[in-house]
Amino acid sequence: MRSIRTVAATAIVALLALVVTACGSSSSSSSSGTGSNSSALSSGGFQSPLNEPLTGGKRGGTLQVLDETDFEHLDPGLAYYSLDYEVVFATQRPLYSNKPNTSTEATPDMASAPPEVSSDNKTVTVHLREGVHYSPPVNREVTSEDVAYAIARGANANIANPYIGAYFKSVEGEPAAASAANGEPIKGIVTPDKHTIVFHLTEPKAQLVSEALLLPLTAPVPKEYAEKYDKNKPSNYAAYQVATGPYMIKNDSSGKVLDVGYFPGKSLTLVRNPNWKESTDFRPAYLDEIQVKIGGSNTVIGRQVLEGNNVVNNEPSTPQSDLKLAVESHKSQLEISPGAGSHYIAVNNAHGPFKNINLRKALWASLNRTALDKARGGELFTNVMTHFIYPTIPGFEQAGGLTGPKVDYNEHLEGNAAVAEKYMKLAGYPSGKYTGGQTIQVVGAKGNPTEQDAEIVNQTLKNLGFNTKFTLLETSTMYAKFCNVPKEEIDVCPSVGWIADFADPQTVLNITFNGKLIVPTSNVNWGQTNVAKLNEAMTAGESVNGKSARASAWAKIDTEIVENAAAIPFDWDKQGMLEGKTVKGVGDLWDVGEWDYNWTSLK
Amino acid sequence: MSVGAAELLPTPGGGVELEFFESETDVAARTPLQLFWRRFKQDRVALVSLGFIIFLIVIAFAAPLVVDILGLPGPNTQNLNLTDSFGSPLGPSASHPFGVDQLGQDVMSRVIYGTRVSLEVGIIGTGISTLIGVVVGMLAGFYRGWVDTLLSRLIDVQLSIPVLLLGLGIGAACSVRGCLSGLIQPGLGVIIFLIALATWPFMARIVRGLVLSLREREFVDASRAMGASDARIMFREILPNLAAPILVYASLQIPLNILIEAALSFLGVGIRPPTASWGQMIASATPIFNTAWWYMVFPGVALLLTVLAFNLLGDGLRDALNPRNAR
Repeated sequence: MRSIRTVAATAIVALLALVVTACGSSSSSSSSGTGSNSSALSSGGFQSPLNEPLTGGKRGGTLQVLDETDFEHLDPGLAYYSLDYEVVFATQRPLYSNKPNTSTEATPDMASAPPEVSSDNKTVTVHLREGVHYSPPVNREVTSEDVAYAIARGANANIANPYIGAYFKSVEGEPAAASAANGEPIKGIVTPDKHTIVFHLTEPKAQLVSEALLLPLTAPVPKEYAEKYDKNKPSNYAAYQVATGPYMIKNDSSGKVLDVGYFPGKSLTLVRNPNWKESTDFRPAYLDEIQVKIGGSNTVIGRQVLEGNNVVNNEPSTPQSDLKLAVESHKSQLEISPGAGSHYIAVNNAHGPFKNINLRKALWASLNRTALDKARGGELFTNVMTHFIYPTIPGFEQAGGLTGPKVDYNEHLEGNAAVAEKYMKLAGYPSGKYTGGQTIQVVGAKGNPTEQDAEIVNQTLKNLGFNTKFTLLETSTMYAKFCNVPKEEIDVCPSVGWIADFADPQTVLNITFNGKLIVPTSNVNWGQTNVAKLNEAMTAGESVNGKSARASAWAKIDTEIVENAAAIPFDWDKQGMLEGKTVKGVGDLWDVGEWDYNWTSLK
Repeated sequence: MSVGAAELLPTPGGGVELEFFESETDVAARTPLQLFWRRFKQDRVALVSLGFIIFLIVIAFAAPLVVDILGLPGPNTQNLNLTDSFGSPLGPSASHPFGVDQLGQDVMSRVIYGTRVSLEVGIIGTGISTLIGVVVGMLAGFYRGWVDTLLSRLIDVQLSIPVLLLGLGIGAACSVRGCLSGLIQPGLGVIIFLIALATWPFMARIVRGLVLSLREREFVDASRAMGASDARIMFREILPNLAAPILVYASLQIPLNILIEAALSFLGVGIRPPTASWGQMIASATPIFNTAWWYMVFPGVALLLTVLAFNLLGDGLRDALNPRNAR
């Protein structure tokens, strides 16, 4: 079970409408189990992270990046959003990381080899590379104690990492460290030598912990340098951070990056880390410098990139009009990345009319999911969603692939009035229309295309006979004040979305459908699904080890969620990204919607 | 004793203006209404504006009929088949003269229905703000002293609050459950409440200034000498003399209020979808203007023409009711 803190952070992720990253799994298991089918991963012949060449880039040059929004957290102990990841994964080296073309086959990064898992699944051992040094002013070699400190500081209240409670809770001493919240070492993380770190677990959850080792939380942090910053509340280590990756945020001799290389709301400059050695890394790092300009209008940015040269946009939601223009006139400048999460309609399982499962099924049956996906850019940028584990996540294929579980309300992608009527009658409305007299509250998110989603859903509800009170709010308000707050008893939240922290099905289904994880605020089990059988299956699923076994176990849970019509799925998203005419951009499958600075080059 | 307040128009000199027109046979005094109409009908721009506003009112009342006659789908009828493979809306055609939006909703149909919202907000909002402004202004101007001080400071405070920021705040706060125990409902109710709240001080200031002048006039002294109560003096003697300036100011306030509604809807705290509102349509069109110009242009033109018509009508009314201020 995850902590409230993690839930809150995860909610923010979803709140920003799929801005968060998906991370890869560790390589401790041999079976991929992704089960992604070719159609779901298709980019329609356009560039995709799956078909980009990872070699042969030209060295040198400066890349201009246009970001509409600013970074949230550049401290590796706190980074959470995909926009942050693009910088953190260029400047820091977690134990494991993904190459751009995968989200499931992690590569040892700060680690020298895959994690070693004990037979009882209660111990994970990782060996570190030698010869990796910090950027100035620290300069010294990285040791395993730095990794232990990096993870322990995540439990420090001054940093408050959102992942640690979710994925490292089984590490011995983590709950105690988290409750002490003063940055004390975690008892279960030991460093027998300078290049070995061992995780002792209280439960057999080695698989989940191993997969979580690619989170930026595991990037080393030098205690003797960072400790003074970590004593501040909140820690201001981000403003003085040092790097282990190919790049570092431009700094002065004291290590200060704030107002030197990073001007909040204005710009960020990445330069080469002079202490980085190519021989210790698998990333080519072609570019000499990356200059990020922050601000401006998304629509204008799209045009600037299409007409520009050494420039890319990193705004995850490229406007539909620019994507259309790119498809029609700038084909070589468009990249389409699959696996960008899912969008579904949260219906209140606990209160109001939709407590009745048959009403939920009726809504599902009547919904024209093809229309919803068309409003999101059509087939090139979406797949109609039929269940909850999405493409690129293990368990997708086992749960039915693109077609999903075979239930009649899931079969008709364009909606089916007869099936809807059947379930309306089963729900106790013989006319096939809702006559309960209760006005239902629909709260959606403003903006394109979430606004269109919400309006289509609202019209579908009206067609079923419901009187609705329909409201569109800023995405953050929608989540924080209403959809994330069970006591508000919102009946329908049509604009919610989810993307995994890393490619494990538990990260997709557990927090969003496990009744045990419903919390009063920052709740992301939006429908308040609380089915005993499901809860038990998910608790058992947490301890399943082996990627293939986990994929199968969670696929069954996915099917049960569909059978409960706990929510109504409509879109598996793909992200369109734009690059300038002279850019050989490489996007990340694991950090959908972002270019990877470690692999991108100029023509 | 009243001197026939309906015949009075306040003038800068404080006198009563009467006009006499000679005919070939005799000299006849015209009623104020006749005088007004005689002047107003000479202003062709104002007449055209009046005609356009009447047209809008007819359209607003008969929107379902008009849409039906034109063979258009209803304003909330979604048809994603009318978008291309990227979900971009299709442009003007014979069956959809103003094109469609991202949901395949007919833009012309929504522009027609949007007239209702604009006129409702413009007229009802202005009516409420005028009522509040007149009452407050009369009380302040008539009683002077501490009442005037108190109300004038209240007006000053109210005028210092930016309308759009206030709108954004209240709109957001009342957007889901409403406010004041449901008295103010999200959508149109919030907008009208906001407009009334934000614009009454302008009317109050004007009325206060006029009342300060009128209360010193002989007909008020005469009425007071005959034992009339304060309420009678205010509402039976002074108020009729304010009819013309109130009418003129209110007519100029209507387009401002229509624009406030459009701005708030543009900012997303106004009319709630699927109800059609021009401001909201313009907001929705902004991200796709490059590929769907029609979605912004037609509601934009409707808004422009409506505001222009009310402004020109207001100018015409002002000129006709107070020829000394004529352009």
